[in-house]
Amino acid sequence: MVGFAAGLLDAAVRASTVFIFAALGEIISERGGVLNLGVEGMMLVGALGGFATTVVTGSYWLGFAAGMALGAALALIHAFLCITLKSSQVISGVMLTLLGTGLTTYFGTDWVNESIDGFPQMTLPLVGEYLVGIPVIGEAFFRSTAPDFIALALVPTVWWFLFRTNLGLEVISVGEDPETADTMGVDVFKMRYLCVLLGGAFAGAAGAHLSLAFSQLWATGMVAGRGWIAVALVIFAQWRPERALVGAYLFGLLDALQLRSQGIDLALDPASPLAGVVNPALELLMHPTIMSTYPYLATIVVLVVTVVRFDDSRLGAPSALLEPYSRETD
Amino acid sequence: MNLSVELEAREDVPAWLVYGTPVFTVVGALALSAVALVALSVNPVAAYGTMFVETLTNPFGLRQTATRTVPLVLTGLAVYLPLRAGLWNVGAEGQLYMGAVVGTWIGVNVSLPMVALVPLAILGAGVAGGIWAGIPGYLRAKWDVNEIITTLLLTFVAVQIASYLVRGPMQGGLGNIPGSAELLDAAKYPTIPVLEVHAGFLVGLLAVAVTAVLVARTRMGFEVTFVGSNPLAAAQAGMSTARVYLFVFLVGGAFAGIGGFSEISGVQGRLRPAFSPDYGFTAIPIALLGRNGAVRVLIAAVFFAVLFVGGSRLEVSYGVPAALVDVIQALVILCLITAEFFKRYSVDVQLAEERTPTDGEPGGAA
Repeated sequence: MVGFAAGLLDAAVRASTVFIFAALGEIISERGGVLNLGVEGMMLVGALGGFATTVVTGSYWLGFAAGMALGAALALIHAFLCITLKSSQVISGVMLTLLGTGLTTYFGTDWVNESIDGFPQMTLPLVGEYLVGIPVIGEAFFRSTAPDFIALALVPTVWWFLFRTNLGLEVISVGEDPETADTMGVDVFKMRYLCVLLGGAFAGAAGAHLSLAFSQLWATGMVAGRGWIAVALVIFAQWRPERALVGAYLFGLLDALQLRSQGIDLALDPASPLAGVVNPALELLMHPTIMSTYPYLATIVVLVVTVVRFDDSRLGAPSALLEPYSRETD
Repeated sequence: MNLSVELEAREDVPAWLVYGTPVFTVVGALALSAVALVALSVNPVAAYGTMFVETLTNPFGLRQTATRTVPLVLTGLAVYLPLRAGLWNVGAEGQLYMGAVVGTWIGVNVSLPMVALVPLAILGAGVAGGIWAGIPGYLRAKWDVNEIITTLLLTFVAVQIASYLVRGPMQGGLGNIPGSAELLDAAKYPTIPVLEVHAGFLVGLLAVAVTAVLVARTRMGFEVTFVGSNPLAAAQAGMSTARVYLFVFLVGGAFAGIGGFSEISGVQGRLRPAFSPDYGFTAIPIALLGRNGAVRVLIAAVFFAVLFVGGSRLEVSYGVPAALVDVIQALVILCLITAEFFKRYSVDVQLAEERTPTDGEPGGAA
């Protein structure tokens, strides 16, 4: 049982990294006042770009950087459309997801079935060797791939950046009240560009982690809705990095459970009175295909619970989210 | 010397721009896609000739286009109606799948004459699609839960459910190939004489007519448009935005569900996993292009049907991957929202010798 728990936790921690990267990026972007619904597309582009770069150059670090750059490149289109052209953030985001899906399907066919040596397992530098031996959590938290560690380190970093640095507070002010921020001398346009590009780079990193560390392969459409889950996660996290970490673990655990469900046998003894009802129900609910829908259903449930529990003002959404800023009005 | 860009919000939009936008959009997208074609060393002029001219000048191409239009226009309406109310249904694909599942189940298991079975299956498919869209609609109406995320997530669920069913409980006699049993003959759309297109085409046209009348001629349609243009004013005028939200999702989802069954009944004959080449997602640009009226949704659906049919010709003749069609679609939307900008603002670009220090450059921050 301890072995199973340790294995499950280990898998959950690794599955959560994607959500951490993507959700942190989305938090930065939305804190600046720009909703990015293109995360899914940016993740796909990051995943394929990172993979292809790694195959060609042999360096997974270069691949990871390429993934981030491509995510940011797609985000640049979003920034241009939403900030400069003041287009609808919803349309632009959905369009970029479609574009990312199309482009990666189009260019990705050549790379399917290529094999790579992605990020290797390693212990956390300096202290990892001593901590790996801790039962249950040791392997999960202290032996992992480099991007897993980076993602974890980014949670306090982004928190510190947003709430403790001047630049971060300027980001928040631009998302809450761009007019006032502008009056105070903050360059709203520049700041929003920065947020959207950072968000895109994080989404690219999420994708690159998926193809270079998590599954070490490229498959068409491999992000499989995780980008959308990340968008929902931000609402669940109420735009706070530390809560996004909790949410990411929740979904990582669901992902891990689904992959390891075959090892679980909950069926009742056929002789017991409820077996006729319970066992077929369990068989249906534990069917791998059906289980693969749980993360999506759980996201909806979590979203509803979050929204119902908090009214808009206490939910914490940046006030100027979705509102293009223009100086010439009024 | 400085380049100065002045933006001015337009008071009203000139007529040539209103009607020209979709045309410019499409032309712009095709020009951008030509770059991709050239990169594949395919002559874009010859390729577009194959895609459009050849498709639209022979009877086979025309029939295929008409057939492809059916699921596209029905899912297009499923996105269009909520869009009128200011909401996003990005989950028409899931509603299409749920409609296909229920419609197929009826078409395989219920024994009735065609005049009763086809309408029954359409009804079942419509109810299934309506419920699938109704869930996000209800959540949005009641609690303001973001409909974009919920409709999309439910799509992933629907596709998995269909996949589970055709490999398990609904698996038909196909050996190891996943798929349902073949629909009863009485559940298959008859072919329209002369046109030689299945009757789903008429169902699609009927849906367009119903939507057009609904939006333009009924009280509910008026409320939908009002809520879509100004929800606060609508609420003050005593309209229930919640009722409108639920309505557009129920009706829209029903259309998408019927689209799913139409594809099975008119084309495929049996339900297979992943039977749809993303009809429900293509519906998003279709609804965007046609957002000013149901008939325009139909025109946009035909355009995308030509892209699908022409795209597969391109694949055969030039070895261009089918995903290029996806890229063209995305580029159409890209051009569309760029064109929106020019509809809203007039841009005055000038070369100025000297710029005043206070000259804020709102549009030039890029």
